[in-house]
Amino acid sequence: MNLDQAFFLYFAAMIVVFSIVTITRKNPVYAVMALLVVFFHVAGLYVLLNAEFIAALQVVVYAGAILVLYLFVLMLLSVPREALGAAAHRRWPVYALVGGATTFEIALLLARSKFAPRPGPYPPDVVREMGSTQAIGTVLFTEFLYPFEVISLVLLVAMIGAIVLTKKWTPAQGGEEGR
Amino acid sequence: MTIPLSWVLALSAVVFGIGVIGLLTRRNILILLMSLELILNAANINLVAFSNHLHSMRGNVIVVFTIAVAAAEAAVGLAILLALFRNRRTVNLDEVREMKG
Amino acid sequence: MPETHLPTQYLPVLLLLALAAGFVVINLVMGSLVRPKRPSAEKLTPYESGIPPIGQAQRRFNVRFYLVSMLFVLFDIETVFLYPWAVLLKKLGMFGFVEMAVFIMILLVGYGYAWKSGALNWD
Repeated sequence: MNLDQAFFLYFAAMIVVFSIVTITRKNPVYAVMALLVVFFHVAGLYVLLNAEFIAALQVVVYAGAILVLYLFVLMLLSVPREALGAAAHRRWPVYALVGGATTFEIALLLARSKFAPRPGPYPPDVVREMGSTQAIGTVLFTEFLYPFEVISLVLLVAMIGAIVLTKKWTPAQGGEEGR
Repeated sequence: MTIPLSWVLALSAVVFGIGVIGLLTRRNILILLMSLELILNAANINLVAFSNHLHSMRGNVIVVFTIAVAAAEAAVGLAILLALFRNRRTVNLDEVREMKG
Repeated sequence: MPETHLPTQYLPVLLLLALAAGFVVINLVMGSLVRPKRPSAEKLTPYESGIPPIGQAQRRFNVRFYLVSMLFVLFDIETVFLYPWAVLLKKLGMFGFVEMAVFIMILLVGYGYAWKSGALNWD
């Protein structure tokens, strides 16, 4: 085993363990913190896979922005602690078993299959030479021009939708001490 | 190729499965949304792994789009959760059954 | 082709992480070994600038915090797209400029809506 594989195994173990921690916590605050650990290790994995720009994105957007949104929502909900930790589904062992079996099967199948490399125009040396950001930008702004413009519409709709959904929030219904 | 592609794919399958189990077993909507983030991350790991394996940049570009859509999804999903909580005072999925036939 | 995946220029990052983690662990362990431990009710109350604490630490926040952080997330994504664009602007020329101008114009509509609907007001 070489150094890369050792790092990969470390990242993989941390991702799996903290993913399980995320979905088993009663208190959502701990779940958010475990998810933070998962996101950081996924970013580390992206560095191993020669995608530095994606790794930076993972830290900036997922860990820095989306999880903050989750924490804010947690603080906005004024449920007592017991109610927040809404218990698992009644038949959860059955569902866990079904999901676990399917996962195990897929993972086994994937781990044993071979994928023949079909080299494209961006081998790791080239990417490292020009930088991950530039390589992604070259493809993003030429080949993916149309999806790129559509993304701005998606963001616009999300923005308007979220404002409409939360605008009519009167102080009596959830403001801070009726301010 | 020092990290076998199949290892990464197996990891992403496991993370995806954990996300699915979270979706199936938990009833707290916040945790359900977090499980969705786990599933999206599993898909992103797959895309980056194949992008690296096939020496192509398309997978990485699609990951950028996925992350943008995930942010939009979190913004709207959490806004819906807030609206639901304002009207029903609950975050438990089983207590939301108006639409049940 | 000898293809090592581990980018060696990340070694300093790793070193920094190890140093930071080591600093925290060593200080906490040393502190817990050396300090005297005599807790009392007075010492265990949360510190609120010297006055006795009022109410619970966990209380509800104003919904405006959500709106602000939601807007931050969405404009954060916009900024993320600006990075590769800025790196490539010279190469893309006028085409890239118009492309990004359209992108930003569409998002400016959302900004205008947020402004008009009062989502940015903190009355």
